[in-house]
Amino acid sequence: SAVRCQLCPPQRALQASAALRRVSDEHKKEPAASSSQHQFDSHPTDQQPEQEPQGPRPSYTGQGGQESEDYESEEQLQHRILTAALEFVPEHGWSAEAIAEGAKTLGLSAAAAGMFHNDGSELVLHFVSQCNTELSELLEQEQKLVQLGETEKKTTEQFLRDALEARLRMLIPYIEKWPQAISILLLPHNIPSSLNLLTSMIDDIWHYAGDQSTDLNWYTRRAVLTGIYNTTELVMIQDTSPDFEDTWRFLENRVADAVNMHNTAKQIKSTGEALVQGLMGAAVTVKNLSGLNQRR
Amino acid sequence: GGVSAGATNAALVGRIIRVDHAGEYGANRIYAGQMAVLGRSAVGPLIQQMWNQEKEHLKKFNELMVAYRVRPTVLLPIWNVAGFVLGAGSALLGKKGAMACTVAVEESISNHYNNQIRTLMEEDPEKYRELLQVIKQFRDDELEHHDIGLEHNAESAPAYSVLKTAIQLGCKAAIFLSERI
Repeated sequence: SAVRCQLCPPQRALQASAALRRVSDEHKKEPAASSSQHQFDSHPTDQQPEQEPQGPRPSYTGQGGQESEDYESEEQLQHRILTAALEFVPEHGWSAEAIAEGAKTLGLSAAAAGMFHNDGSELVLHFVSQCNTELSELLEQEQKLVQLGETEKKTTEQFLRDALEARLRMLIPYIEKWPQAISILLLPHNIPSSLNLLTSMIDDIWHYAGDQSTDLNWYTRRAVLTGIYNTTELVMIQDTSPDFEDTWRFLENRVADAVNMHNTAKQIKSTGEALVQGLMGAAVTVKNLSGLNQRR
Repeated sequence: GGVSAGATNAALVGRIIRVDHAGEYGANRIYAGQMAVLGRSAVGPLIQQMWNQEKEHLKKFNELMVAYRVRPTVLLPIWNVAGFVLGAGSALLGKKGAMACTVAVEESISNHYNNQIRTLMEEDPEKYRELLQVIKQFRDDELEHHDIGLEHNAESAPAYSVLKTAIQLGCKAAIFLSERI
């Protein structure tokens, strides 16, 4: 079936898409020199699935068109390539080579890697995003089971530990190359995206843990959990114990520390409040004794 | 998770809930400050009544905040103190001062809610029906407080117009900041 790319900028995507079709085995088409091929109805909604365009069709009306099963947007194609590329990460690292290999398994030309940056950024971000989605689905499932009464509700401590462990375990197949991924995520031009992915993952975990804070606690909890995640991740990439048991023990201790600190803070607060009440009582007593409280 | 957002504009809803939550929180603290000074005076029960309504408002926005998964403004501790100081300070000017503060704040809040209602109506009144209902109800409550303040001689407060302008400027700044941070 035809793989059609809905065109939108950047220019190199146009050329890459054209190159894909040129070299691809499945499609013996004339090379698309430019978009000056005979125009079909330029209305996306009139598009018939059976029509095979001679070249990439520029779309000036945006992505609003209907997508039949044969029709794939560029974004979907990119996702498929990146997903396929993950298989080659252990060998080639997070790089254009892995993307090229992934493209080849889909029957596309290695030149498809030209759609992406050279430094493997999109591959790492795609992977992280995929892991986060998987985690959300996992937590959603678990929540449903608890609501149906089929599983016990976990303590917050246990919940956080399990959620973080589940998320970190997704790194295991790529653990050798994970330090490279971390450094890619820290590149300045990736920081907005990687930060966004990190914060939404942590927010998701707290949401499913049942966090209902509407004050500064909202921030403290997320900051603490982010810290736990990041430090555990660093421990994990250096961990050589069987099935990363050292990492999980580290995680357990960190979460326990955080919960302890929270409980201690609560105790201090209530002790403080009790103390203040005591002092107020003492002050009122003194005022009474000295006659200051009498109305005159 | 959270309330089904469908195609609602999450950023818009987030901003609205964040600033409204901050506003009700601040209003709570203002009345708390007023009560601390005038609690045992003749006007105490009246202020307490208005305060109770604000507590209900805050409770509602706490619920909405969790349901829509909105983050609260980082400035909450500041509104905590500033609100209390404003309430207590205006109450130290006497009952009329407290009423003047109430009039100024409630007028600002009502205008603010009206703006939000307009925005949501322009976006899609059906999609945002629940939120619109809540905001309309609260706007009516705030207008009621405003009128109570006027009935109780707010305008005779010392330096009424100066006080009112200053407070409303502060409210504008608070609203601007809380929407964003």
